[in-house]
Amino acid sequence: MHETQQTRQQFTGASKYVLDEELAQIVNISMALEMPLLLKGEPGTGKTMLAHAIAESLNMRLIVLNVKSSMKLVDALYQYDTLTRLNDSRFGDSNRDVSNIEEYIRMGKIGQAFVSDERVVLLIDEIDKADSDFQDDMLDVLDQMEFDIIEIDKTIRAKHRPVIIITSNAKKDLSDPFLGRCNFHHIAFPEPEMMRRIVQVHFPEISAELLDHTITAFYRMRDFRNVEKKPATRELINWIRALKADPDFQVKDLVKGDIPYLGVLFKKSPDYAIARNMVSRMRL
Amino acid sequence: MFTDFFYLLKDVGIPVSPTSFLRLQRALSMGLILSLDDFYTAARSILVKSERYFDLYDQAFAHHFKGAELKDPEAFELTEVAKAMLEQWLKNPKEMSELLGVDEESLKKLTPEQLIEYFLERLKEQTEEHHGGNKWIGTGGTSPVGHSGYHPGGMRVGGVSRNKSAVKVAMDRRYRDYSQMGPLTQAQMGEALKRLRNMVPVGPMDEVNIDKTIYQTMKNAGEIEIVFDRSLRDRLKVYLAIDNGGWSMDPYIEVVQTLFNYARAQFKDLKTFFFHNTIYDYVWEDPARFRKPLRVDDLIGHDPETRFIIVGDASMAPYELMATDGSIHIEERTTKPSFERLRDIAEAFPHSVWLNPKMEVEWEYTRTIGAIREIFPMFELSLDGLEKAVSHLMKKN
Repeated sequence: MHETQQTRQQFTGASKYVLDEELAQIVNISMALEMPLLLKGEPGTGKTMLAHAIAESLNMRLIVLNVKSSMKLVDALYQYDTLTRLNDSRFGDSNRDVSNIEEYIRMGKIGQAFVSDERVVLLIDEIDKADSDFQDDMLDVLDQMEFDIIEIDKTIRAKHRPVIIITSNAKKDLSDPFLGRCNFHHIAFPEPEMMRRIVQVHFPEISAELLDHTITAFYRMRDFRNVEKKPATRELINWIRALKADPDFQVKDLVKGDIPYLGVLFKKSPDYAIARNMVSRMRL
Repeated sequence: MFTDFFYLLKDVGIPVSPTSFLRLQRALSMGLILSLDDFYTAARSILVKSERYFDLYDQAFAHHFKGAELKDPEAFELTEVAKAMLEQWLKNPKEMSELLGVDEESLKKLTPEQLIEYFLERLKEQTEEHHGGNKWIGTGGTSPVGHSGYHPGGMRVGGVSRNKSAVKVAMDRRYRDYSQMGPLTQAQMGEALKRLRNMVPVGPMDEVNIDKTIYQTMKNAGEIEIVFDRSLRDRLKVYLAIDNGGWSMDPYIEVVQTLFNYARAQFKDLKTFFFHNTIYDYVWEDPARFRKPLRVDDLIGHDPETRFIIVGDASMAPYELMATDGSIHIEERTTKPSFERLRDIAEAFPHSVWLNPKMEVEWEYTRTIGAIREIFPMFELSLDGLEKAVSHLMKKN
């Protein structure tokens, strides 16, 4: 029904996000097929950023549902604010109509995406945190594009089918029916070449020298063995930011094998100890 | 359209569903897919639902659209790389021989075929020695072979560049690392750790949480809602026995130890023991198997709820397992044949598994593996195997 509008809207990338062609195409196909796109990949590969980038480039509003382990599906759909209603009925000092339950229904994130007047991007972040019941029920809702509000016996239908991006860190395997209803992409960790472009997007004025040496050092450190949480894009960017902020830092320190601010890159104490050890060995 | 391809994917073991195939047809009929490149990406994102199967998909794709042989992965890569090395050698023999650390003259005498053979040998050596992923055929190193170093036959080994056809991308097999086949490597550590996270006991939801119940009831405006919590269970004790004798086990010892040490916090107690080939009267707490022996008879008295995990290739001469005095170490005199010892352990610890870095297909060729499998449930030391082993260890009975 929004066919023409959709085919016209093509996703090509956004100002702060470096996109490879393959991913752009997958995003476009998922939009055209009206299927949720499930993105998996290590932390720091830009899964969440992608949704922001799509919203930016298509000029759509972004609604983010941060999934938590304790979350129930209904929380994502709507909330019936009983407490306010109770208070209203006791004190009677608001202008809401206590007998009208609808006034106490608040839309959750999925609900907001459904009732929005224009098409939105709905990011369901870290779906793997929730239990599998939540996941399956949610997919039902997203399939049907409608849900019922039991308290007032009303069905909410999506005015426009949102562009749905789901991310997962793969802590748990998602169920087969869930996977069956999504398109899937796995974002691999960026290759050094790609990483250069990513860093350049964040630091347009960075010198080629600093860029070269930080990236070389970064990939070397990612190769340290026995490290549980490898530094990712986010750590690299923060690290470069730290290096640039330090007036005493010079690029030639990196060449010598001095790695300042190791703690920005390795955030777990056993990892930090291993890294410090390895770095001191590199220097020799 | 592309029905053959669909069945090929099914045949190679990718779980593809007819629904998703129909969806692919829809994408085709909507005119979204205009080239083979588009098809590669679209079909993968629609049909394949886990990165574990991306590698298989790449192989199947290359096979179907290019006729590339579906080869045993190891052989495929080695020949490609060896060819690349030959080309490099032809271009610059000096540099190549320096990198290999051999005399240029001695290599010059070889015919191209002999050279390929020679390179293959060298590569095999290298892969064996550096299974944990060091720099020889690695990424970004100074080695002439591999990613960012040299492009064999005009194609890169890995990388993001998309200035090439989908078939070539597929042939690159960028997703090899995510494939679940093959023994556990350092690179898969994170994933493996997630498998271990399931080793926590779960009680039923049968304890009333008074605070939450009051809160929920208030929230429901007085409508009583009782909230249940899981009853707490004690964390597990884990004993890890590692075969650290012999070079065949070397690549895995570190992986396994790091793995369990990282998971340590979730266990009540984690002890590591060492043995060589199989267990006789003693296991050792020190890797040198010298200073701290522990009698197996003492071990057997420990808490039977302990999870006992043995890591070893279970490959040895049959007498080592069956004979009363089977140990190959002259100073180790034993009173019972090893297989009886193993049986004692299996009885004392009902929750026990044997993890074998040898892949399951090879098991039937070694007699001792068969014998030990009768005593312990055996699983591959791979992501899949680990997952199965954990679920076996967590079974109620």
